[in-house]
Formats: sequence, C-alpha cells, structure tokens
Amino acid sequence: MINYILRRTVLLLFVMFSLTVLAFSLAYLFPGDPLVNLSGYQEITVNQLAFLELKYKIDDGIIRQYLAFLERIFDGDLGISFNSQSAIFEQLSRIFPATMELAIYSLLISTFFGIPLGILAAYYHRKLPDVLIISSTMVGYCLPVFWWALITIMVFSLQLGWFPSSGRIGLVYEVPYETGFLLWDILQADIPYRYEAFINALKHMALPTFVLATYPTTVLIRYTRGSMLNVLETNFIKTAKAKGLSTWQVLFHHGLRNALLPVIRLLGLQFSTLITLAMLTEVIFSWPGIGRWLIDSIYQRDYPAITGGLLAVSTFVILVTITSDVIYKWFNPISRTHVDD
Amino acid sequence: MTLTQRYKTALSSTALVLCCAAVTSCGAPSTSSLYDNSVVYCSEGSPVTFNPQLGSSNTTADAIANTLYNTLVSSNYETGEFLPELATDWTVSADGLSYIFNLRRNVKFHTTDYFTPTRHFNADDVLFSFNRTLDTRNRYHYVGGGNYRKLLNDSVVNIKALSPYQVQFELNHPDSTFMSNLATDFSVILSKQYADQLYEEGAKNRLDKFPVGTGPFKFREYKRDELIRYYRHEDYWGQARPVSQLVFDITKNGSSRIAKLLTHECDISAIPLPQELPLLEKRKDISVVKKTALNVGFWAFNTDKPPFDQILVRKALAHAINLDAIMEAVYYNKATKADSILPPISWGYHRNEQPIQYNPHKAKQLLEQAGYPQGFDMTIWAPQIQRDYNPNAVKTAELMQADLARIGVSAKIVTFEWATFRKRLGNGEHDSVVIGWSADTADPDNFFRSTLSCAAKSSGRNRAFWCNDEFDDLLSSARINTDTHSRKSIYRKAQGIINAEVPLFPIAHTHKFQAHLNNVQGIIISPYGSISLAEVSKSKAVEEGANDD
Amino acid sequence: MIDYNDYQDDKNHSPSRQLWLLFNESHPARIGLWLCISLLLLSILAPLISPYSPYEFDGSALLMPPAWADEGNVDYMLGTDDLGRDILSRLMNGASLTFGLSIVSILIALFFGLILGSLAGLSKGVKSSMFNHVLDLALTMPSLLTAIIIVAVLGPGISNMIWAIMLSSLPQFVHAIRNAVHDELQKEYVIAYRLDGANMTQVLTHAILPNIFEQIIVVATMAISNAILDIAALGFLRLGAQAPSPEWGAMVAESLDQLYSAPWTIALPGVLIFLSVLSINLVGDGLANALKRRLER
Repeated sequence: MINYILRRTVLLLFVMFSLTVLAFSLAYLFPGDPLVNLSGYQEITVNQLAFLELKYKIDDGIIRQYLAFLERIFDGDLGISFNSQSAIFEQLSRIFPATMELAIYSLLISTFFGIPLGILAAYYHRKLPDVLIISSTMVGYCLPVFWWALITIMVFSLQLGWFPSSGRIGLVYEVPYETGFLLWDILQADIPYRYEAFINALKHMALPTFVLATYPTTVLIRYTRGSMLNVLETNFIKTAKAKGLSTWQVLFHHGLRNALLPVIRLLGLQFSTLITLAMLTEVIFSWPGIGRWLIDSIYQRDYPAITGGLLAVSTFVILVTITSDVIYKWFNPISRTHVDD
Repeated sequence: MTLTQRYKTALSSTALVLCCAAVTSCGAPSTSSLYDNSVVYCSEGSPVTFNPQLGSSNTTADAIANTLYNTLVSSNYETGEFLPELATDWTVSADGLSYIFNLRRNVKFHTTDYFTPTRHFNADDVLFSFNRTLDTRNRYHYVGGGNYRKLLNDSVVNIKALSPYQVQFELNHPDSTFMSNLATDFSVILSKQYADQLYEEGAKNRLDKFPVGTGPFKFREYKRDELIRYYRHEDYWGQARPVSQLVFDITKNGSSRIAKLLTHECDISAIPLPQELPLLEKRKDISVVKKTALNVGFWAFNTDKPPFDQILVRKALAHAINLDAIMEAVYYNKATKADSILPPISWGYHRNEQPIQYNPHKAKQLLEQAGYPQGFDMTIWAPQIQRDYNPNAVKTAELMQADLARIGVSAKIVTFEWATFRKRLGNGEHDSVVIGWSADTADPDNFFRSTLSCAAKSSGRNRAFWCNDEFDDLLSSARINTDTHSRKSIYRKAQGIINAEVPLFPIAHTHKFQAHLNNVQGIIISPYGSISLAEVSKSKAVEEGANDD
Repeated sequence: MIDYNDYQDDKNHSPSRQLWLLFNESHPARIGLWLCISLLLLSILAPLISPYSPYEFDGSALLMPPAWADEGNVDYMLGTDDLGRDILSRLMNGASLTFGLSIVSILIALFFGLILGSLAGLSKGVKSSMFNHVLDLALTMPSLLTAIIIVAVLGPGISNMIWAIMLSSLPQFVHAIRNAVHDELQKEYVIAYRLDGANMTQVLTHAILPNIFEQIIVVATMAISNAILDIAALGFLRLGAQAPSPEWGAMVAESLDQLYSAPWTIALPGVLIFLSVLSINLVGDGLANALKRRLER
C-alpha cells in the first residue's frame, strides 16, 4: 500500500509539474506582453515596471521565471484580474465553495436516488421495472445539460413559478461570508430573517442541483446495476442462494457490500465530470461559482484570470481523482495486487 | 465545521429541497417582511465607477447618480424648468457671465463604515467637486484617470465661495447650456471632508470606489457583475422616504432579466427586450412604462479609413441598408425610424425632406462611381451589450451584412465585451460600427458635440472620426447664442452638412421602456435614458394569484 | 431477409455476421441505427434538400410558430427565428455541423489513437508504465473541460473547436487501443503468428487490428456521443461555432432572447441534439451487448 501511495504521489507531482508548466506558458501563448499576462497590470507605470520586472524575473531565463511563478503559486499569488483589478487567488477561494456546494449536493442526491434504483433494476433484471429504469437513464444520459437546464427553468420557474430562475439566494439577504458554503453560513450567521434566508437559499438551490444531479444519477444507476449483476453471478452468491437465503437477503448481506465498492470509486471519478457540467449549469442559473467566472474570463479575454481558473479547476479535478483512487485501493486490498490500470 | 455537521446540513437541505418540490405552496413568491422593505433592480451591467463625474454611460448613472448623490439643481423633465436641490435659489448677472447659488443648510453626508462626517454640507464641498474636474492642479484631478465629461470646461473660468453657503460661478462667455449641464448626473457634489481624510490616509483611489454623498441612499457593498447594495440614508434632507434597502441585481442577459421579473426575483427590470413587451403587458402583476427618450441609434463609418473617406462610398452603403427590415426584426416596430441624428422630440429637430432611401440599385451605381464596382471587404463592429437605442446591435449588424452582400460588399461582424469594445473603438480600429447616443441634456448641442465634433474626434468618442470645420463653427456659434429661434436655424444648417456628408447613417430613435412589479412606486425615468430610484418605495406584496397569468 | 427460426444456421455465420444478427435482435439498437443513418444522410444532403438557405432572411415572416400552431404557415414547417430564417432549413444544415463534425473529428482522433495506442501497446518497461500513468490522468480530465481549456488558449471558433474535440477525445482511444493490443498480444494465435516469423507491423495489421476492430467501434460510438454534446455545449457557450452558424448549440444560444415569445426556437435544436446523442448511444449499447452475447455463445 505504501508503495502504491508513493507511486501515486510521484505521479501527482509529475502531473502538477506539467500543469504548472502549461499554465506558465499560457502567459507567452496568449497575445500581448507576458509580463502583463502574468501580473494582470495592464497599464504599468515606470515605477511599477521596475518592481514587476524584478518580481516576475522577466529579464532572467525562462527557468528562473518559471521558478518564480511556482513560488508565487505557493504564496497564493496568481496576479490580478484584468477585468476587476483584484487578486485572482482571493476571488477563486471565495467562489470555489459555491461550485463545491452545488457539486456536493448534486452528488448526494444522485447517490440517494441512483444506488437504490440501480439495485432495484438489478433485482428485476430484464423485467418491467428494469426496462423502465434503464430507458429513463438512457434519456437522462443523452440530455444536453444546458438545454435541460433551460427546459427546467421554463417549466418550474416561469410556468409554474415554484422556484427562482437564477442565483444562489435572494439578494436582499445579506449573509456574512464565513466558509462560503451558503447554507452553513446562514445557519451560523447572526442575522435577522435567518430562517427566511435559509428557505430562500434552498429554493434557489433546487433547480440547479436537480439539473446537475441528472447525469450522475443515470451513470450511478447503470453502474450500480451492472456491478450488482456481476456480483450476483459470482459463485459465493450462488452458494448463498443455494443455502436457501431469500433473494433480498442475498442482495443486502452479500451483494450490496461487494457491489458498492466499485461504485464508491466511480463517485470519485464522477466528480470531475460533475465539475465540468457544473460549469455549464452555473452559466445558465447565474450561479456565482468558478465555472461562470472562468467562462466570463474567457469572454473578456482576461488572461491572468483564465490561467488561474484553469489551474485551480484542473488541479482540483486531478486531486479528487487520485484521492478517490487511493481510498478505493485502501478499502479494497484485492485490487492492489492487480496491475493498476 | 466537522464533517458530520456538514453532512447533516447537506442532508437536511436535501430533505427540504424535496419537500419544496412536493409542496407547491412553498415556491410561491416571497411575501416576507424583508422583501417588503427592499427593492431589487435588475440592471443591465456593472457601473464603471461610483463617481458619476467619471462615467459616461447610463448604466453607471442609473446605479449611482441619483441614489447616492445630489446636484446643485435638477431639471423637471417635462417642463424643462430648473428646480432647487442642494442650491435653494440662484441669481444670474445681466451679462450672463456670473451665477450665484445659495446653498441648502443642514444637509448631512452619509455615515458609513468607512467615513463619519463631522460637519454639514457647505461651499467647500461644491468647490472641491467642481474643481476636481475643472482644475488640473486639484490633487484629485488625475485620480481615476482624469477623463471627465468636460461639459463645463469651455465656459467656466472660476468658482469661488462668497460665504460658507454661497458660491459664485464665473463664465468667460454666455453659455446657454450652463444650467442644464449643472443639472446633469455628472455635476454631483462630493464630500471634501471625506476626500481630505482619504488624502491623509494615502488612499485617494477609494474616493470613487467607496462613495460618500448626500443622496437618499448610502453605499453598503458592491460585488462586480453581481450586486450593489445600498441602505437608506436616514438623515436625508429631502422629502423622499424610500425603502430601507436597494439592491442592484446585475444581470447582463436580457432574457434572464425578464425571467427574474416574472418570478418576482426583481422588482424592476432595466431595458426589457422589445419582443417580450407584449408578454409583460399581459401580466396582471407587472406594469410596463413607456417614455419618450432623447437618443439615436446609428451606423458610423470610420471616415479616417479608405474607402470610407469617400462620401460616395458612405452614401452607397447607406442606400444598401433595408431600414424597414431592421425596424421590424430588431426593434419589433417599437421605435421611430430615424432620418436625422436628432430625435423628433428635440426642439432642434428639423425634418429631413430627403432621407436616404433603401435602394440597392442606386447603391451599386454609387459604388461604381466611387471606383468600387467589385465591392470590397469591411468590418461592422457591434457591441454585445444591450443599449436603449439598440436592443440587439449584433442582430442589426447581421441584417446589414446580408444587405451589403447584395451590393457586393462583404462584411465581417466584430464584437467584444463592452469595456474592450469601447477602448478599441476609441483607438479607431473599426471600419464601421453600429452604436448610438443617449443624450445627457435636452440641448441639441449635446447630440452634435458629443458624437460628431472635432473635439470628440480627438477624445475618440466621435465614432465616425469625422471632423468638419464648418460644422464645428456652427456648433460654437449656436452655443454662445441664447435665442432659441436662431439656434434652431443654425442646427438646421449643421444637420444639412451631416445629410450631405453621411459620416453616419441614423437608424432609429427608441422609447425608453422599463418594467416593474405593480407594488413598486416612485421610479423616475429621465428622457436622457437614465432611471432614478431615489424615491422608490414599495407597498405590500403583489396579491397572490396575480402570478397565475 | 433474416430468418429468425433458422437458428442452426446462425452458428455457422461468420463472426461479423453473427454480430449483426445479434445486434439486429434488439429493437432499440435498430431504431438507433436507423436514426443514425438518417442523420448521417441529412448531414451530407442538407444543402441539397433543405427548402431555404439557413442564412436567408425573410423580413415578412419573423418568429413564425411551427405549422401546427394557429398562426403557423406551411411554408415554414417548423417556423422561423427572430430574423425570419427558416428553422427547418437551419436545423437540417446544422446536422452537418453538430452531428457530421463530431463524427469526422472522432474519426480523425481515432486514426491518431490507433497509431499511438498500437505503439504504446507494443512497448514495454518503465517508459510504457510512465506513459500509462500519464494517460490515466489525461483520461480523468473530462473532455469538455479539456476542450474549454484548448478553446480558451486558441480562441473561439469552429476550427479551434474541432482541434479541441480531437485532442480531448484522443486519450481514451490511446488507452482503449493500448489495452486491447496489450491483451491481444498474450493470445495464442498472435504468439503462433509471431513464431511463424511475422514482424510487428504484420502482427499488428494482420492479426491484432482486425480482432480488436469491433471493440474500438464501441469506444468510438461513446466518443461520438460525447463529442456531439461537447460541440453543442461549446456552441452554446459561444466558444465553438459562432453566429450565424446553424450549429444546434449555437442556435439555442442565439434564441435565448426568445425564451418566452418563441420557445420552439430553443426546444427544437435541443431535441435534435438529444436525438443524435441517443441514436449513437443506442447503436453503441446495442453493439456492446451483441459483442458480449457473441462471446457468451
């Protein structure tokens, strides 16, 4: 296991190295002066210029510049945004929880529905419930998320008026920023109208969470079903059945535990897809998360912001993947002995 | 926060979401007390600054000018007469070269987290506010770039305090536009005490970012592209008792603004899309307000660049455009087709007897005469942002593109995000641009000088980069003239020059539309395109059931 | 015609014939295939058979609802958009962009995937192991995120978008082909072939590739369905195809302002995106099932 973790760490370091090299080279790939693209200062005065040149080691070799870039990343300095002229790192750390909140709740919802439905489908293999569940997952799987989001807005927000169409919370509520996880912040905050604000935030959350949960739910159903069917074919289950246990007993006592392990791994892998889909969802629901921020930066050709945003998102995705991989191996020693691919 | 706690929160929220989905009543429009005391305005963009002196777009003015600040005088939009605001009364010398204003007493500036005033408004504040823009030696002059709307610079030579509550403006020549310029959103009064405090702290930049004024609302917070929050200024001198909280929900997307209005997430929506107006008018809970406005949407040619330096080419291009199709597809026939840069409601307007007609055949002939029988390639720049004078410039450009293709001109549409767009336009990178002008004052001078004068060319605001000495002389002579009748005939001549030279092709004059929930009162729309929320208030929530429509 | 009763004969068919028969047994797969073929035909023939040009304005018919609505007109079967362009024609021409381009870019990516994957499958040792790890991580990057990164660097536009789609789908092909080649190399028939003196190129082209071809097709169908969604998403975000292109995602984005007055301008392109993804997935699923069942036999 230690060996495995060690290898994954080396890999992580290697990938992080490549990512930072890529992010650094973006400053040169984007149009304009690399110093401007790195620092985000568009109109540099003479005094500033000397200071910035020194800080960014722009007159030194590329290697030196890259090392200075790395150093700044560790200091949490990603330059400032062209657009807002404020520090990118701080902006990122403020909006990241919004995306996380959306993604985590969606993942919870999809787990809540996906796994039981998957088991149900496996139990009724090739019978009507299975066919129904599987065909609806096929539909959910093929929906373009941006279109699906628009349709839900049209129906639930505009036609029925059940939920608001955009944002995280009604703007009249002033919730002090603590963790960035809004629901938690509201519960912690000492503000008037707290309960009202909480309900309001939940209502805002409903549609985006639902839309975002659609895809992972379908994947989870299909995967749980497949995994369950595989386990049910194995010999120890057949033995258990032969011993006279009921199908449900077999399913829960023997099947579930073994079928869920790969599902847990899938959850980790799904997280990266979820983040991407969250970016689209955020754009449509004006959810103030990293996706909307990054897409806006692309529209505005805000190069330092694009660089910072890409670095943050991809680092996060890779960290989650590797972590979930390691956790999976931890709980499932058998897989460690296999060739890991 | 521990992990278990977090999961508990998450789970309870999940459960509540599910409840909400099941119980429809839970999603009905909010009728809470906080909503009753707050007004949410869905605006179309972020303000550029929190100091109106520096900004020239309506988006900025809407958000800050009337809410946070006061001017010395204001003007009644209907009658054109001037009303006292921070000045209680004023006298003009017989030669028109000196104006003396008596100032209002006991006017308090905002008390905020970052500033606590210790004295009331007085003449020092007036001097500071005007000298900041007029006097290059003022220590705040270059803060924020020093790019002011120079409405008063030509005429005002000196401002002095005669007493703490009396100021005198000295002019070098009589200026018929002086009072209306004082009443614009640009002539606001800042706090000198606050400026001095910031100067000592070495934080001069904060003056335009964390504003202090005398207006009915005070600044609370601003998140770029997200929201602006104001609280009521409890010690406001005026009569207005607006709501306790005013929030600007910055929503750039036109259909999102409509959606938010329909779901009651906003109380007021800026620039509703013209195609959705019938839908809004049908709703029982929403009112649509239509006001005449002083603006013009036009297509300007960069006359510095060949072949657009040739009058024949500009005329040919103008003849190629099917204006009726644009009026239909872009404005949904809710605007007036323009035949001149001045809108018909302006007193300086004179009907153009021979407006340029849609005539592709003639366009081709003119192109041949100009020496381009094969046509040429060009760019049409169009901003993505929605403007009063053009709800969809990109769509306008697409229609023009198709029209131009018929006379052999191949056009490419160029668009950028608004700030970048304006910067590049100022550099003259475009061949032609679909843009327009919303007037700041009712004076025709504002239209001509801002869009086509040589001075506007050097500042980059003249999108046609067109400079005609004869035209400029006419403008100057009209400005020192105080007789409306003779000014009118001068402007008629000026328009004649524009008609002959076609530096730009006027498209449309629009009405100003604005939609709001029925329980919101006190919204004032100026014909110059801006909206004032200084007196906005709200009665009890809209009745339930109104939403069924 | 296929005779289902003649089961005995079935076993004597060639493997690909068996596959086809098994595939054909599934109704969804058959429907998917028909849908797929019609969309493919549409992508090729759209300019010839569409009633109008996708860019042609008709100022007298703005925002016409589809023909079945009260104010509809048979001249414009699916109505018109806000510039009076015929939606039917735009949708038909959009097929070659959203559907056609995704297939083309995946085929190109597949070609390079074959080369890289075979090379990787044939190589051994530390180099190969390192390569595998990097590949694994490249795979964890969702294709849309990779595509957005690439477009962010290269700038928006349809050609940059194709590059992005190709590059982001490449890792999965390399991965799948590498694994398949790797597995196949261990099999006896390949070893026998090699003992006969065949060199690596021959082994690859004559023995391995024909045998892994079917698996690769399954991977490719999944990649195509992803590519359609990605192209549409990029178009919707205005990072891919730009207005006035009739790409379906871009059409949805262009119609956003008509969300209330003309919902069909948003609904219809979305339905087509959905149908094309569905058809490809049905075919892919059907193929995968058929392969599995052939193996079980």
